[in-house]
Amino acid sequence: MLTAASQARRQAEGQARGQTGIQARAGLRFRGAGRRFGTLAGLVGLCLLLWILTPHFLTVANALNVMEQTSINAIVAVGMTYVIVSGGIDLSVGSLLALSGVVLAEALKSGWPAPFAVAASFGVGAAAGLANGLGIALGRLPPFIMTLGMMSVARGAALLVTDGRPVSGFSSGFRSLATGHVLGVPSPIVFTLAIYAAAALVLSRTRFGRYVYGIGGNEEATRLSGVEVRFHKTIVYGVSGLTSAIAALLLTARLNSAQPIAGINYELDAIAATVIGGTSLTGGEGSLGGTIVGALIMGVLRNGLNLLGVSSFLQQLVIGAVIIAAVLVDLMLKEKRG
Amino acid sequence: MSILVAQVFRPDVRHGAALKGCATALAIVASLSFVACNRGGTTTSGRPRVAFVLKTLNSPFFNDMQRGAEDAAKKLGVDLVVQAADREIDVERQMQIIENLLQTGINALCLTPSGSREVVPAVVKANRANIPVVIVDTRLDPAASSEAGAKIASFTGSDNYEGGRIAGRFITSASGGRAKVAVLEGIPGHETGDSRLRGFRDAVKDTPDVQIVASQTANWERDQGFNVFQNMLQAHPDVDTVFACNDMMALGAIEAIRAAGKSGKIRVVGFDAVDDARKAIEDGTMAASVAQFPDEMGRVAVENAVHALRGEAVPPDVRVRIELVTKK
Repeated sequence: MLTAASQARRQAEGQARGQTGIQARAGLRFRGAGRRFGTLAGLVGLCLLLWILTPHFLTVANALNVMEQTSINAIVAVGMTYVIVSGGIDLSVGSLLALSGVVLAEALKSGWPAPFAVAASFGVGAAAGLANGLGIALGRLPPFIMTLGMMSVARGAALLVTDGRPVSGFSSGFRSLATGHVLGVPSPIVFTLAIYAAAALVLSRTRFGRYVYGIGGNEEATRLSGVEVRFHKTIVYGVSGLTSAIAALLLTARLNSAQPIAGINYELDAIAATVIGGTSLTGGEGSLGGTIVGALIMGVLRNGLNLLGVSSFLQQLVIGAVIIAAVLVDLMLKEKRG
Repeated sequence: MSILVAQVFRPDVRHGAALKGCATALAIVASLSFVACNRGGTTTSGRPRVAFVLKTLNSPFFNDMQRGAEDAAKKLGVDLVVQAADREIDVERQMQIIENLLQTGINALCLTPSGSREVVPAVVKANRANIPVVIVDTRLDPAASSEAGAKIASFTGSDNYEGGRIAGRFITSASGGRAKVAVLEGIPGHETGDSRLRGFRDAVKDTPDVQIVASQTANWERDQGFNVFQNMLQAHPDVDTVFACNDMMALGAIEAIRAAGKSGKIRVVGFDAVDDARKAIEDGTMAASVAQFPDEMGRVAVENAVHALRGEAVPPDVRVRIELVTKK
């Protein structure tokens, strides 16, 4: 049993740690800004280079094209950033994307009004994400294992729901979610920017956001300073499930079809975008601004290699090399800083 | 160019971040310069540029198709750009590749759809760019394309349904009308695999003693063909015939048969007659394979694309020959 004195001591200790936590975070945010600049410089350099190499790169049409193509990975990477900042990992995002996509498609096919179908799909994505969170926070499962299991569960569910076949053919109104334009800008880009604005606001300006950094930086200290860590962790995975479902909405509208085999390897693209964007895989630091730049680097690279007519095999090699180089430099810099 | 880079990312900026950007940019510069030196063949020569988007490049079938296409391009004096997604089933990536190629102002597009319905929006984009589209190997879904208003100049491919029937008839006659067949299906919803399967089922349905005891997908892949057939053998030890909707899965099944010590006791029939399958047929581990001629498909597709972009008439539907390959 705790005596009043030890309780008070523990509280004080917690506050003290919380204090250092806040100082550390302030420092991190500053460094985070520097990092973001670093990644941004990489993106600008890449664009300059492609502009020199091919006349087709720097056109308005191609710029919109790249951003539109990047949007799905970028949206999945929002949830991934939350998860990784909290010190976890989510391998199930691709499967959750497929599952929420086929739920959406089946609901639309059976005549549900679009808003209800979308709500059902988002509900399924978020619920599966929350299930991940519960397994991790309450069941104490390592995030890698829990989400690896969910990756297979959700994929299986998607295949079961559809009997393995794509579900396709939707109204033009629904398709315009991905094919339409807002003031001349393709709607997937508008969606992406809106989601990033909202998610970045939550991550950097709310108590929830600060707790996410805290949990990733030092979970024990955060718990000792009175934060309900398990609750917030669970929500983080719910957010990831939700962003996968949002990406599924855009992908389904874009392809006019939802495939149970969609989204394979998307977790790797999302992790790559997040990490290139300067988020640390050990948690506690990172930003969505970095992630969107990371996603754009991947998108621009793929686009550029297509424009240059580079062999598909060489493309994989180059993309892999860039990911390794980006993270390697990041690690080296971190060591230098101590 | 390196001077430019050095000026933009001054290494003397205090925080290491700029260094990172610099180093990342340099890594990218290095790899892209390497790429730029290695691409070749797609120079701006004023000749018409034809893009050929395949399902994948890591399959002998599509490698043969590429070879046929390149031969035709050389003969006709056009530049050919061949691109493919990393994985055969990655429709979204295939769509991105098409969008990106359209940005480069290609003059015609040959396409083997990774998804019969899913690539339709990409074909519509090509229509909007006013370039002829030749579909190869896998048909577009008629309902999806008529609804979206997608237009194609021509289709080139084998009659997969007929190929499936040929395989079915071969199994019926080779087994004397008595067989327990395990079927390895392609990816569900793929027009090619579905047609082969339908043809096969139709060919054997009138022979009551040719029974399909198990039918599962192995997603076109060799390792999955191995595993799925191994599992089938557990459930149905009396299986004496395998029909696989492509050779990759058939070759996987052959390995599973070897592992089970049943080599020579199970008749394997594949589809595509790729080199490895032809070797297996000569070795006697495989009974037959339905040969397609992907190089001919590639050649005809490029020819039709070039004719179409010159405004000449092209046949709307070209069926490339198929034949059964057995041991000589």
